[in-house]
Amino acid sequence: MKRAAAIGFVVWAAVLAVSCRPPKARLPGTPQDRHAPFNYIGAKGMVVAAHPLAAEAGLDMLKSGGNAVDAAVATAFALNAAEPFASGIGGGGFMVVYLAATKKVTVINFREKAPAAAAPAMFRDKGEKQAEWRQERGTAVGVPGMLAGWDYALVKYGTKSLAEAAARAIEIAETGFPVSPTFSQINKDEYEKLLKNAGEGTCYLNGGIPYEPGDVFKNPELAATLRRIVREGIDIFYKGDIAPKIVAAVRAKDGIMSLQDLAAYRPVEVEPLQGTYKGYTIYAPPPPATGGLHLLQLLNIAESWPLKDWGQNSPAYIHHLSEAMRFIFADKEHYDGDPDFVAMPLARLLAKEYATEIRDKIRADKAAGTYGYGKFDPVQDKKENTTHVGVIDKDGNIVALTQSINDFFGTGIVPEGTGFLLNDHMADFSTDPDSPNAPRPNRRPVSNMGPLIMVKDGRPFLTLGSPGGTRIFPSLGQILINIVDFGMSLDEAIEAPRFFSYSADGRVRDLSVEPRIPEPTLAALRTLGHKIALKEPYDKYFGGAQGIMILRDKKILLGGADSRRDGVGAGY
Amino acid sequence: MDMHRPAEIILTILFFGLIAGSYLAAQTPPPPVFEQPLLVTSAGQSSGDAQIALQLAKRAALAATLSKTGTGKDLENQKTLVLVLGASMKGLGSAGLDTNKEKERIRELVAEAKKKNIPILAMHLGGGQRRGELTDEIINEFLPAAKMAIILKSGNQDGLFTKICKAKDIPLIEVDKSLDAVEPLKKIFKR
Repeated sequence: MKRAAAIGFVVWAAVLAVSCRPPKARLPGTPQDRHAPFNYIGAKGMVVAAHPLAAEAGLDMLKSGGNAVDAAVATAFALNAAEPFASGIGGGGFMVVYLAATKKVTVINFREKAPAAAAPAMFRDKGEKQAEWRQERGTAVGVPGMLAGWDYALVKYGTKSLAEAAARAIEIAETGFPVSPTFSQINKDEYEKLLKNAGEGTCYLNGGIPYEPGDVFKNPELAATLRRIVREGIDIFYKGDIAPKIVAAVRAKDGIMSLQDLAAYRPVEVEPLQGTYKGYTIYAPPPPATGGLHLLQLLNIAESWPLKDWGQNSPAYIHHLSEAMRFIFADKEHYDGDPDFVAMPLARLLAKEYATEIRDKIRADKAAGTYGYGKFDPVQDKKENTTHVGVIDKDGNIVALTQSINDFFGTGIVPEGTGFLLNDHMADFSTDPDSPNAPRPNRRPVSNMGPLIMVKDGRPFLTLGSPGGTRIFPSLGQILINIVDFGMSLDEAIEAPRFFSYSADGRVRDLSVEPRIPEPTLAALRTLGHKIALKEPYDKYFGGAQGIMILRDKKILLGGADSRRDGVGAGY
Repeated sequence: MDMHRPAEIILTILFFGLIAGSYLAAQTPPPPVFEQPLLVTSAGQSSGDAQIALQLAKRAALAATLSKTGTGKDLENQKTLVLVLGASMKGLGSAGLDTNKEKERIRELVAEAKKKNIPILAMHLGGGQRRGELTDEIINEFLPAAKMAIILKSGNQDGLFTKICKAKDIPLIEVDKSLDAVEPLKKIFKR
């Protein structure tokens, strides 16, 4: 009898242990060496995202009959639960949609807006403390656009309800999951901010201390918030019970957002920006998302250089591209702003002739050292944030979605009882009141995001995007050149060593490199006048790109996901 | 197992007892060697890790102050220096330091501690993710100056800490999680 009872207890305990275990993604195997190039394969559909649980949420949506927009929104919701430090309903983003039936490309802009009380000198006036006011105080919070954008996309281009899209996110937030080394490291990096703004008792800390890899992260308050949103509609966030909690949290930290700001928020649908590179056409969001604009500038400049002859990541290649980046950053400082309020010379910036003008200024034997326009405050070089989602469905519809709460864990401010983090996208405004990107009422701050869809001979070939702040367009440019000029497979192109440089105030800044670029190459670059800054071998400083390539001749989809973060692909 | 062979049973118990005993001995902190108050600083500007060290010290009821970019002057009235090892490019940038300046700062701090006879406790709380070329340079240069080290096990998978500590006769305490460092901290500081 005793023996039977003991066996019964063991069986019960085993069942309990299994049933209580946090969910693990059921995706097919990923490579043992996470950095080894690995292309995920699909035939009908594919999702790439920065967390396995999110990619799985998107894949399940595709398999259950949802289209690419449904799957992208399901993935985006799931990222709020599984990768909460990079994006969520307290932030905003840009979605590029390719509609296979009409071959139309459209862009949904749900970037945050400045509150109506914003003023051009609001950060400059804070003097030495301005970084804190731009990133960690209530003044850092832009009016969130994420939910409005997802809802707009679902209603106009999706087939599923908000409840269906959010279901997996709710499950993940409620049940929890073991955190990855990436999550743990970011949690440690942002510990001070979380302690200060979210407090020791927040779910974003584990008993007041950052999570270690393997610790289970749960967010029941987020699950409850999402449940309310899907039950009562997104108005509860913008006009209902959640809105006062957002405003109270922002104002408790000296912010300026009002209930009217939230109630007035609307996403907008716009025409994509368009450009070409060696026979490919690239579609990306227009400003205030500037990743696509500057990527096209970079590719225009590089188009007539003998890249193949120089060789990938050769001294000549890195030197010329770095110089091009520096000239582009000079333009960025000078022109970038919200086109609803500021006239930007987009046609000129995108013209091949203008690229030739810049190309002519770049010398083969040394770095120029000064880069023209440095009129406004220097570009900031510090962010490693944001997240990117790519989806293709069985009908050939495509979504490229980049979304963010800006710095990792945003401001660290969590409206009471809601479980979501508020963005610090006001930091993307300039501190210079005369800049076209100065904070002003209801303006959208300039963004570095650049989700893109690339088309060859009228048919989609690739979708790609990345986080990484100012490194977004340089990283996307290197990946595209790796594919187009150097014939690399998608993930090989993503994992290849990266570099980045910029100019600020018209002056040259360091050339940051992953040290997988060999020392003789770096030595040659030093002789050309570049000051080298070594990063980690696979540094998330350079972003975390995800992409999907369509190989029509083989009738397969290749998913590439960056090992600099926790990117994975999921195809079927 | 044949339960009628007591000698074998005793030997087995002794064998496992010995293993358990050695394990416990390796994990048991030595008697208190440090005094309060203590100054916590980062060596490499992984400022989150330094903040964790401060929290752990507080939970161990120790009188601790954090100065991420502390100098020799900050050692005034301090009786222990806690060096939290770990490089962060982001942290260095935020502090307006480059690698050389940061190393210089730590060298000056360590020299001042030596001059004032202030013992150093080294901590590494970033785990495997907080290892890399620059962090390893910092570990190699500054860990030998420590009187004791507390580290996350996951940061010592290649045995770098074990190797240095063994060579320099530095007691090494490895913990699975940051919070597990509270108990050893309680024991190695005099009350």
